[in-house]
Amino acid sequence: MEARGPVGGLTSGDVVPVMPALRPVVPGRGLRPGWVIRLGGPGAAALGAGSLGLALLAGASRGGAWCAAIGLPELGVVAATEMGAEPARLLLVDEPGRRWPDVVAALIDAVDLILVRPAERPSATAARRLAALARRGRCVLAVHGVWPGAQLSLRTDTVEWHGLGDGHGHLQGRRARVVAEGRGAAAPRRTAWVWLPGLDGTVSPADAPAADAHPSLEVVA
Amino acid sequence: MSAGRALVVWCPDWPVTAMGIDAATPGAVVDGDLVSACTAAARAKGVRRGQRIRDAQRRCPEMVVRDRDGDAEGRLFEEVVAAVAALTPRVEVVRAGMCAFPAAGAARFYGGEEALRVLVQDTVVELGHDSGVGIADGLFAAELAARADGGGVIVPPGGDAEFLAPYPLAVLDRPELADLLRRLGIWTLGDFAALPAGDVAGRFGADGGRAHRLASGAAPRPLAPSTPDTDLSVQTEFDPPAAQADQVIFAAKRLAEQLHAGLRAEGITCVRLAVEVGFADGRVQERLWRHEGALSALAVAERVRWQLAALDLTRQPADAEAAWGGVTWLRLTPDQPIPDEGSQQALWGQVTVTDRITRAADRIQAMLGHHAITRPVLTGGRGPGEQVIRVPVGDLPPGSTADGPWPGRVPAPAPAAVPSKPPAATVTDAGGAAVSVSARCALSAPPAQLAVADGPRRRVTAWTGPWPVSERWWDPAQARRRARFQVVTDEGRAYLLALEGGRWCVEGVYD
Repeated sequence: MEARGPVGGLTSGDVVPVMPALRPVVPGRGLRPGWVIRLGGPGAAALGAGSLGLALLAGASRGGAWCAAIGLPELGVVAATEMGAEPARLLLVDEPGRRWPDVVAALIDAVDLILVRPAERPSATAARRLAALARRGRCVLAVHGVWPGAQLSLRTDTVEWHGLGDGHGHLQGRRARVVAEGRGAAAPRRTAWVWLPGLDGTVSPADAPAADAHPSLEVVA
Repeated sequence: MSAGRALVVWCPDWPVTAMGIDAATPGAVVDGDLVSACTAAARAKGVRRGQRIRDAQRRCPEMVVRDRDGDAEGRLFEEVVAAVAALTPRVEVVRAGMCAFPAAGAARFYGGEEALRVLVQDTVVELGHDSGVGIADGLFAAELAARADGGGVIVPPGGDAEFLAPYPLAVLDRPELADLLRRLGIWTLGDFAALPAGDVAGRFGADGGRAHRLASGAAPRPLAPSTPDTDLSVQTEFDPPAAQADQVIFAAKRLAEQLHAGLRAEGITCVRLAVEVGFADGRVQERLWRHEGALSALAVAERVRWQLAALDLTRQPADAEAAWGGVTWLRLTPDQPIPDEGSQQALWGQVTVTDRITRAADRIQAMLGHHAITRPVLTGGRGPGEQVIRVPVGDLPPGSTADGPWPGRVPAPAPAAVPSKPPAATVTDAGGAAVSVSARCALSAPPAQLAVADGPRRRVTAWTGPWPVSERWWDPAQARRRARFQVVTDEGRAYLLALEGGRWCVEGVYD
């Protein structure tokens, strides 16, 4: 496996690295420490949020960052590893329950990226407090669910699965269009086609599908 | 977590005793120009540890003063250890002047803890050394119990915290921490133990957390639940048998370096070190030494020398070599492995990262329990849920993990979400009847609709299966027969489904 950054953690002042396939949708060279990123959205927009979280985690982890996943007992560690994450630099707090803000606050100083699914919708006060802690601790928060005042929102709007037929084959990959919307510096809407994941589990850039390709599988959500 | 009872034998003022100064004679040993130990008679005149020798001599001009000789302390103490080891095996030398052993078995054998305590004390006193003997649940409490009340006391089971509470912070032997705590108005171990563990770890770091566990009567560090599979002991042979102690000690130093390198590579250290010396006449002499990752290779070699020197003491110097017939082999074995925070820092490259993460993990463990924060370790297995085990931070990961071929493993890419408790699913065919699989893996009808738990029905747009899995068929109690399917629904989500005993469940979601 090729090395993409310092092996032993990030140097302060750096951005948290993002895997190449997602760079077109992320403003700047990576995720800026202190950012809150919202993954997915309500209803059909939640599609692919899990993989997007894993992709962020894998990109950061591969670049030498420490990551934590809070309140995500179902997190696919194998899938994250296939995307390039280093499980040795991953901490899991599966069941924080209602104490998730305390757990996030405790880990904000220690790791570079936190993936969290809040147990309940955070109040504006709690969200502001954690965002302030994240800025001070130079940590990126990636949140599944609603978060007031997120800097960037990542979701997929079109996905198609490949490899599966009617009773034969096996899943080989998903071509997805990733949409990023932001505020301030991240304002313009950006999109990119990626394999999320591809055949070997990695995330790589994809060509936009031809208009008539696999019409039976394409889903516009 | 009281694993047992510990008995500690403590010989007061050992550095002075080792220099042959009687307790009734005012005397002191010095390290540089500071008093490092003194006799009871000198103490009565106002001599204290850590005093400057000039001040001590002003208070007690007739005092006998010697330079400290660590080697002599270790050598002479071997005599005490040998006498105690004659009563019970597994004696562990904490340092010169103090040794310990697990008391539970010995107490049963000798008719109770008090009988054992008196027996051990008498044994040491018969050698001509004053001693205190204490018994408690933990080593730390037992050490203080041995020093208590002229001769030592027994702390009842479960009473460690209560026994420790009135002691001043100075007994923790962490002057900076004690100083800080005093300024916070905390004077005793009981006050310190009453602080929430998470806050202590957050404010005072890993070492503060360790001190806090000591003060609360818990083990200073949780023991690793599993031992590494690899044998980390190191051994060297002497052919012809080594007749000179120096030869053995030289080999011991090299062996210790080898041992430490091996431990470092595994990222662990050990609480105790077992040193075994084999002699030409077939006798084996074994000693346990407290290690805690703090002994250098040189210090290990020194302990081997003490161990050998004890033999010389009992024999005429002239025929000493003939008596033990020479050493034929020497083995060092690490005992009770624990994760080594120090060497992990080196591994991870950045000192601050480890410290920060340990601290955060300590706080979360104090908040939610030891198993709340884990690190994933990939292992073998077929299903996506079987390939990962979660190891609590601070515990050792299991040793080698079987990475054999796993026929029937679900091909990559792996599902992004693997529910820990797979939710039930309903799979129906075009006619609305439940889809089933026969014993010969024939499908009743192609799946047309899928509902997860109580969710809405979704149309199945593509599917594959069944992939039969027959696990542990040789063990009727654990045998499982399953059939796996991959299914894509019209909302664009893909699922890994399993059918077992007529019930469908969602093993993974390709979210």
